[in-house]
Amino acid sequence: MTSKKTFQLRFGLRAKLLLLSSFLFVIPWFGYQYVWEMEKYLRFGQEQTLVGTARALATALHEREKLFNNQASFLPSVEQGKDLYGYQLTEAIQLDGLHNDWPNFSQRAHFYDHQQQLFASKSLNLNLNFKASVGKYDKYLYLFFQVVDKQVTFRGNNSRSITNNDHLALSFSDQNNKLNRFIISNKQAGWISAFSITDNIEDIPKPATHIQGHWLLTPQGYNIELRVPLTTLGDKIAFAFYDVNQPGAKIDSAIGSAEPSKLVSLGTILVPSPEIERIVKGMRYTNSSIWVVDQHHRVLASAGSLKSASGVWHNKAKSPSEDEKNSFWYQFKQQVLLPLYYQILTKPPTDFIDKIYDAKHLNGEHIVSALMGKAKSQWRLTTDKQALVLSAAYPIFINNKVQGAVIVEETTNGIRTLRNRALEKLFTVILAIMVLGALTFIIFATRISSRIRHLSNQAEQAIDKQGRIIGKMSASTSHDEIGDLSRSFTTAVNRLSEYNHYLENMSARLSHELRTPIAVVKTSLENLALQEKKSLSTHENGEENAYIERAQTGINTLNLILTNMSEATRLEQMLATTEKIEFDLTTVISGCMAGYQQVYPDYTFNLSCERKKLPLNGSPEHIVQLLDKVINNAVEFSQDKIITVALTQHSEHAELRVTNNGILLPEQLSESLFDSMVSLRSANTTNTVNTANKSKKTPPHLGLGLYIARLICQFHHGEISADNHHSPEGVTIKITLPTKVW
Amino acid sequence: MTKRIAIVEDEAAIRENYADVLRSQGYQVQTYASRETATQAFNLRLPNLVILDIGLNEEYDGGFVLCQQLRAKSASLPIIFLTARDNDFDTVSGLRIGADDYLTKDISLPHLTARISALFRRQEAFKQPVSDEHITQTGSLTVDSQRMTITWHNKPIDLTITEFWLVHALAKHPGHVKNRTQLMTDSKIYVDDSTITSHIKRIRKKFIKTDENFDCIETVYGMGYRWLSELENTSNNDQ
Repeated sequence: MTSKKTFQLRFGLRAKLLLLSSFLFVIPWFGYQYVWEMEKYLRFGQEQTLVGTARALATALHEREKLFNNQASFLPSVEQGKDLYGYQLTEAIQLDGLHNDWPNFSQRAHFYDHQQQLFASKSLNLNLNFKASVGKYDKYLYLFFQVVDKQVTFRGNNSRSITNNDHLALSFSDQNNKLNRFIISNKQAGWISAFSITDNIEDIPKPATHIQGHWLLTPQGYNIELRVPLTTLGDKIAFAFYDVNQPGAKIDSAIGSAEPSKLVSLGTILVPSPEIERIVKGMRYTNSSIWVVDQHHRVLASAGSLKSASGVWHNKAKSPSEDEKNSFWYQFKQQVLLPLYYQILTKPPTDFIDKIYDAKHLNGEHIVSALMGKAKSQWRLTTDKQALVLSAAYPIFINNKVQGAVIVEETTNGIRTLRNRALEKLFTVILAIMVLGALTFIIFATRISSRIRHLSNQAEQAIDKQGRIIGKMSASTSHDEIGDLSRSFTTAVNRLSEYNHYLENMSARLSHELRTPIAVVKTSLENLALQEKKSLSTHENGEENAYIERAQTGINTLNLILTNMSEATRLEQMLATTEKIEFDLTTVISGCMAGYQQVYPDYTFNLSCERKKLPLNGSPEHIVQLLDKVINNAVEFSQDKIITVALTQHSEHAELRVTNNGILLPEQLSESLFDSMVSLRSANTTNTVNTANKSKKTPPHLGLGLYIARLICQFHHGEISADNHHSPEGVTIKITLPTKVW
Repeated sequence: MTKRIAIVEDEAAIRENYADVLRSQGYQVQTYASRETATQAFNLRLPNLVILDIGLNEEYDGGFVLCQQLRAKSASLPIIFLTARDNDFDTVSGLRIGADDYLTKDISLPHLTARISALFRRQEAFKQPVSDEHITQTGSLTVDSQRMTITWHNKPIDLTITEFWLVHALAKHPGHVKNRTQLMTDSKIYVDDSTITSHIKRIRKKFIKTDENFDCIETVYGMGYRWLSELENTSNNDQ
């Protein structure tokens, strides 16, 4: 019964407790939220710090006109190709006419074609174009030109003119804003020959040795790589290529950045300012990437790299010592916990790509805003969306005008690392708490549910299907509610048991109490009868005698009833002292059957025995008494006057079936049939029995017969049950008695 | 000389009814309602027969106590328990402490008087020499119907009047099955079947006490009991 229950889907105490304990999951969620909130505040702090850094740097650059003076910063606008930007080169350039030592040449070079045409003799026949790149390294400005020219014409060996061939005109202002004009005109590929010229055509060009370079012939044309010392260089520059297709002929066409012959027409050149850079360098220890731009977004100076700019929060996690690395906990954390955590968390990438900024030209809303005079910070993702970058811009004022901006950038990697470490710790603690908590809960729930189940099993075992108390419960000694429950159960069962016992003994008690008054009546009647007898001998009058006789009959019947009522109790007392002996059940039963045949001559008794001998350990007298009761019952309910008794032996018990055909047992009574004071007999059946037996009087039935049968069965550790059988309808009483020696 | 009978019984009506019957039989009857009054009277003079109730007023075992005291005073004084308690335990206890018979109150007055006179007869018979006419011999069993004594292998078996009548009824016709009703009639009691069973058990035990091999009272299941003479017994064993 109980096993069936457990197989059913039950929402037991344990499941309920587990469900309730799932609210514990709110705690890690709160922790997680808290850490996120922390991160938000940290980010806000970082933003403030970053703006502060930008402001500090901008403060250092405010009103330092000189720094910006020689730059093109004051121009209202810049023109691509004409206003040049000298990239900061990181490595020395070898003057060999090859661009492979120029980083990102193809991207950084500017392409010049007929749109930048300065002059053409035959307008349609243009076959000259070039790419130019400008860079700064150490104290030199480097220029590289990749010229496409179908016909390279060198200066003739004996040619006095330096302009009647393919040549490069280079002009720049010096520090004093005076125009210096140069022409590079080679007789052959190799080291360049630079000449300084003046506006006056009559002047003889003087070789300019401070301009050094290399002329290299290529299949498309030629490359010129040259350098100019920065000391001679102002902030204006222009260059132009003149194409001559036949030696000694006139110039066919010219393409250049600007007209090189006049100072006003020159374009500007911007090289990263070493002064600003020095100032900026002082700030690079802030773990930020710093840029200074002019109002045309052109980078004046930069320091630091975004990859190492993870913010002030990034203090390096101290690497664990060897001892720690070998510890079990560390190994466990590294191999089990951390991979688990990083299913949820993301490690801040150390390797990310950010191409949002060109090296010379910075764009962004915050820069625009800063150049409008308003400090601004913004969050953005790197171009590969791996890292989050915080960027702050702060304007630089000179004479109340915005002349540039400081841009400071940091990744949030520091904060993220910090957050991750906080979350790792949080997760570990929560995991520990949850494992411990869950274990505690499970143990507690299991203990409680097992105790309750134990209690319920005990309660079930204490009371049988018929509601009889068959066992005692042992009270729990624990001081909690379940203990109380157990104790009150035990008390209830004990009281119920006492009450049941009281009920079972009630008939005996009643008969005992009634016996004395009946004895009074009986003795009185007998005395009366004796007196009557004496007087009867003198007088011839027998009328009164009849009444005494009736009263005596009545009192005898009453006495018989009382004896029957106490029979069960007497039997119980007798059984308690009865010793069991070995006897043959078959002999006893066959003997009994012969006896019944004599007592009930109208009935047919069919006995079938499997074996000749069936040894049983018990009390034969009581077995006879049991049989008396059952047969008596069967006889009274039999309609066809045939009683069938079958004795069969099984491996461990003997089975006796007493069958009669007649009315069926009502379903609700079949269980309680063997209880004390339960009788099925209606007035109707009693009458039929009366007529059948033709007896004058049958003692009234108290429903003790089958109760006595049950008591005897219990004494023999056997069982008795009654079942209906059909076609023909009737009742079978089955008695099983264990043959095993107890 | 009229016999003096003492009745110790707390229920006045029953006491007087018994007393009336016994007086009408010619006995001299003294009645006592409590153990104390009875003890005082018995200290002065012992009666010829005592009828005791077990429960006396508040004393649950008053009758037993009184019986022990009486038995201590006289070994031969006939004592009869007449009580409402019909359980086996009290019966055994009552007989063990020396009562000559244990009767329940549903016994009829003629049965009671028959027992009393039987007890007196037995007492008288002991004073007279043994006369052979009252003695019947069945195998090793000797029944003296006048003295109401039984010997087995010439050893006396101490039986109560009821037990004597039961054995007498069985041994009168050896081999014949006596059913319980017949036995009840013969032993002048009217009890239920299980009481007969316990009487037979007690008789068997008494015989076995003197002879371990005693097996002459046979239970015929479903019918009753019969006395087996030793000859039949041994021949049965031989089979």
